[in-house]
Amino acid sequence: MSALRFSYASLGYRRTAVLHDVDLDLPAGRKLVLIGPNGAGKSTLIRSVLGLADVVTGSLEVLGGTPARARSQTGYVPQLDTLDADFPVSAEQVVLMGRYRRIGWWRPTGAADRRAAAVALDRVGLAGRSRDRFGLLSGGQRQRVLLARAIAAEPRLLLLDEPFNGVDAASREAILVAVRELTAAGAALVLSTHDLAVARDLADQVCLLNGRQWAAGAPAEVLTAETLRQAYGGRAVDLPDGQMLVVES
Amino acid sequence: MGWLEPFRAPFMARALAELVLLAVICGPVSVFVFVRRLSFVSDALTHTVFPGVVVGFIAGGLSGIFVGALVAGVATALALTLLTRRGALSDDASTAVVLTAMFALGVALVSRRSSYTTDLTSFLFGRLLTVTPGQLAETAVLAVVILGLLTLGGRALLFRAFDPGGAAAAGFRTGWLDLWLNVIVALVVVAAVRAVGTVLVIALLIVPAAATRLLTDRLAVMAALGAGLTVAAGYLGLLISWTASVDYGLRLTSASAVVLVLVAAYLVALPIGLRRSHLDPRRAVGGGRRDELVG
Repeated sequence: MSALRFSYASLGYRRTAVLHDVDLDLPAGRKLVLIGPNGAGKSTLIRSVLGLADVVTGSLEVLGGTPARARSQTGYVPQLDTLDADFPVSAEQVVLMGRYRRIGWWRPTGAADRRAAAVALDRVGLAGRSRDRFGLLSGGQRQRVLLARAIAAEPRLLLLDEPFNGVDAASREAILVAVRELTAAGAALVLSTHDLAVARDLADQVCLLNGRQWAAGAPAEVLTAETLRQAYGGRAVDLPDGQMLVVES
Repeated sequence: MGWLEPFRAPFMARALAELVLLAVICGPVSVFVFVRRLSFVSDALTHTVFPGVVVGFIAGGLSGIFVGALVAGVATALALTLLTRRGALSDDASTAVVLTAMFALGVALVSRRSSYTTDLTSFLFGRLLTVTPGQLAETAVLAVVILGLLTLGGRALLFRAFDPGGAAAAGFRTGWLDLWLNVIVALVVVAAVRAVGTVLVIALLIVPAAATRLLTDRLAVMAALGAGLTVAAGYLGLLISWTASVDYGLRLTSASAVVLVLVAAYLVALPIGLRRSHLDPRRAVGGGRRDELVG
């Protein structure tokens, strides 16, 4: 069964599309990486999967149903800079938020929830940091706590919005290890990034966006100099060692 | 004079009991007001509940105050939730005009009465020393309702305060959660308004968390400490106003004495908080707070 299926969808807000021609099929256990310049529509695509952006035309199926119905089985890792580092919560409290829907309104937070939170923190390499204040951790560690929160929800579909922005090398590696483990266990992954090396190494599918879907498919097919140059509007530069650099204006 | 002597007088004991009940709800509620940055909502409620109190009093006497405050408070909570949701509260000036108009309306209504000055004073600053057993019972019921609403919604409210986008993505209806918290704050204002008045109630909603945030990073500790601090301020404030009037013949309104002690506790905590942030700069509290208006 497909974890995610966009059929000629255009996505946006209040019936105005900002991202056109999205046509993707992501099977369970597979990894989709979204690339494209700032404002390309990567976050809009992720928000549409959460039911927080509108499907204006075409259709979108998440885990075989509507986005709203799939929410309880979807884990979401927001961009770090949307959060207030001053907020007085511990790492464990943040991770436990991933359990809140499962816990419901009436039941108190139980031992099983705390165990799930501890396991999730361990998977992102932050075992033993549960009592640390969230705001006092480094940017990379905070991003890992947010990933642990998504893991604690035991999702079948995991969405990460720019998880490597302002993140140190150790955290980047820990995030990559954790998402590989999850997909190996059967969860599907959607990750947006500017990092073409991640797209090349991690993805089963790459989707190149800039206002519309420019290309989608295996990394080798999509990450060519020609397609990148087209989508980025000539701001992609070849480097001598076969790497490619995208220049953001 | 003993430390407990003044509280042998039944009216002093009832005043203290009322303050203890208010402290138990204001400790945790002020934490949510703090993390959601709802000082503006609290401020707005103090302005709009005032005419409700006056109309209630004119229509039904002392017992009408409760109903008047309740109607005005819940209506304000509803209106503020809708307005902030539509982004209609970004214009500070027009909001301030509406709130001031509500307040002026209250004053205009009360000024038509012959006992104008006494009534106005008691609506603005409360009648802490004339709390009746019936009033205590009403406050106790409201306390149970408020703490029940807070316990039930606490986790979701915390999630929404910390990460609105993440909470919405997890399927929480943030609009309903905002209404939930605004109604809780409105009920606190209703519970406290007769004892401490519409002006001073804002201190109970803001100072406990602001002070304890300087001492701890833990929300549950903030809530418990905030309640303890308010009980202590209630006791000391009553003692001071009693001593001032009985021993020195100075008239000192008890509610304002309580609020002054509470503010003094905040001032005492301030250097401790500064020292904590000095030892660890990342711990700095309250630096560069944004969006104070709508939270």
